[in-house]
Amino acid sequence: MALLTGWASFLVAVATIGCIYGLLTLGLNVHYGYTGLLNFGHVAFFAAGAYASAIVTMPPPSTVTNASYELWLNLPMPLGFPVSLAAAALVGGVLAFLIGLTSVRLGTHYLAIATFALAGVFSDVLVNEAWLTNGSFGMNSVPKPGRAGLTADEWQLAYLAFAALSLLVTYLVLERLVNAPFGRLLKGVRESEAAAKTLGKDTNAVKLKSFVIGGMIAGFAGGVYAHYLGSVVTAQFVPHVTFTVYAAMLLGGAASNTGAVVGAFLVVAFEESTRFITTLYNWIQSTLPDALSGVLPALFGPLPNNPSFIPSMRFVVIGVLFVLVIRYRPEGLFGDPAEIQALGEEED
Amino acid sequence: MVFDNLLQTVVFGLIEGSVIAVGAVGLTLSYGVTRFINFAYGEFLTYGAYLTVFLAAGVFGMSLPLPVAAVVALVLVGLLGVAVSRVFFEPISDRGALPLLITSIGVSFILRNLLQGWVGVSAKQLPIPLLRRQEYFGIRLTHLELGVVVAGVVTMLLIHLLLQRTMLGKRMRATSGNRSLAEVAGIDTTDVIRQTWFISAAAGALSGVLYAVLFAPFRPGVGFEYLIVIFAATLLGGIGRPYGAMLGAFFIGLAMNFGSTYLSANYTRAYAFIILVGVLLVRPEGIRGGEF
Repeated sequence: MALLTGWASFLVAVATIGCIYGLLTLGLNVHYGYTGLLNFGHVAFFAAGAYASAIVTMPPPSTVTNASYELWLNLPMPLGFPVSLAAAALVGGVLAFLIGLTSVRLGTHYLAIATFALAGVFSDVLVNEAWLTNGSFGMNSVPKPGRAGLTADEWQLAYLAFAALSLLVTYLVLERLVNAPFGRLLKGVRESEAAAKTLGKDTNAVKLKSFVIGGMIAGFAGGVYAHYLGSVVTAQFVPHVTFTVYAAMLLGGAASNTGAVVGAFLVVAFEESTRFITTLYNWIQSTLPDALSGVLPALFGPLPNNPSFIPSMRFVVIGVLFVLVIRYRPEGLFGDPAEIQALGEEED
Repeated sequence: MVFDNLLQTVVFGLIEGSVIAVGAVGLTLSYGVTRFINFAYGEFLTYGAYLTVFLAAGVFGMSLPLPVAAVVALVLVGLLGVAVSRVFFEPISDRGALPLLITSIGVSFILRNLLQGWVGVSAKQLPIPLLRRQEYFGIRLTHLELGVVVAGVVTMLLIHLLLQRTMLGKRMRATSGNRSLAEVAGIDTTDVIRQTWFISAAAGALSGVLYAVLFAPFRPGVGFEYLIVIFAATLLGGIGRPYGAMLGAFFIGLAMNFGSTYLSANYTRAYAFIILVGVLLVRPEGIRGGEF
């Protein structure tokens, strides 16, 4: 008997993805919100974590179709699950360390472009190094922990509970961290690097730490994502992910962990809701009196009949969100306007 | 034989360098007066290429000859640049670089996905025939490749003349150097910025058309993907410095083609970036310091 039908199953899926994006947004918020690091390559850490999880848990390639990867550990579920997630966080952190080592000392624009570009290079590596990542076919047999003992619906709910718990724990740890002396140090570097240096702080080391912490959280999110979908494919890790996470953070309010989580859920919900555009359009059309039936097509024309229309509109919505939030409410829903003020200032 | 191959790689590097140079100069000009890196710039390349295809194929009711279609597309994209600037950037121009930068990402999402929603993701290409390469002094080139280099060089020359010999160029340099001082000197800087947006966006469109000539077919993501390469050239030259951008572009073009030929063709973008990161570590201000 199906426990979850229609709407309920849709909502559970959206909530789980919301938790994963919540983690990603919390990670980015450490970089941008608290430390002022304009990281435009966040998706690379997410991908690194997802691939790390896939590599440590995938079965031998001989049992999988279209497999050309040469490295796998085949850790058994469910005991391998925590190891896999730890590996994901570790690899995300290591990648952040490597990218940060070359980039954190660069100024705002240069940092944005360097991270954006290095993430692009990293995605080229994922596509091309098939021995490690199975190329663009992807790793499609990542085990779902605990799936064997549960029905499909029970597993969906259980995994949602796990994702929500991970999000909660990460949130609490970060709240603790940003209110500790280390958190004040991060903000200090954000407000004035010169002042922090004058006080004898090694600002590049602080930025690097911030970068690694955020990268680990994103890597962890990648692990959670990989075991949720059971599949890791290069096409999932495009720059759009980075910017969707930005949209979530800005909407919720930079430098607010609560904002990051709320923003992530709102943005994921926004994105998912665009799939109802056609339904809505047809519904309005059918309820309008005949005399007005020409109005909508005249205003918008017939909706383009191509499969990329809905996914494209989803990102138009994200784009509009960026523009509106920055213009009319730069502190987002939960941010502190005074903190955001400091983010806009550029030191030459 | 080895030497021939080397020479051919240099030539291909210079051809692609011309495409990058046109885009990089356009990007850097707008940075010069607006002081933020425009992530929506790649969309000007995309719109340039697509509008040219549409105008040539008669999507808008009449089909123009390709060169005319390209020119009309440049003007239209130039106007699009001005419109984008007025709608999205001017209202927040006093808020510092970061809000502008983030807004430009939103703008790039809107422009790219509106196009994609309308035309779909299927690949398009310009209506140009496949040409056989001719020998010129031992180098094999098509007329089109030669044309791309000529278009690139002519654009560089025009931008040089614009900056050095025209009143607008002087106003642009003044605005770039110190906006409030330019303002005090009686320059209408808002107007200068709009004109710069036009030139910048049109240069982006030209770069997109040249890209489409060289590397057909293309999809709506083409400009956004190529943006990384243009950024590399721009940064390498030092942002906001047109002559640096030109130099950086040819450097990046050569690096990408040498890497593809002699190392592995899978990592074309990576070569551009390894060079960039290397240079940034040694000289964070780019290879060419100095004035606009």
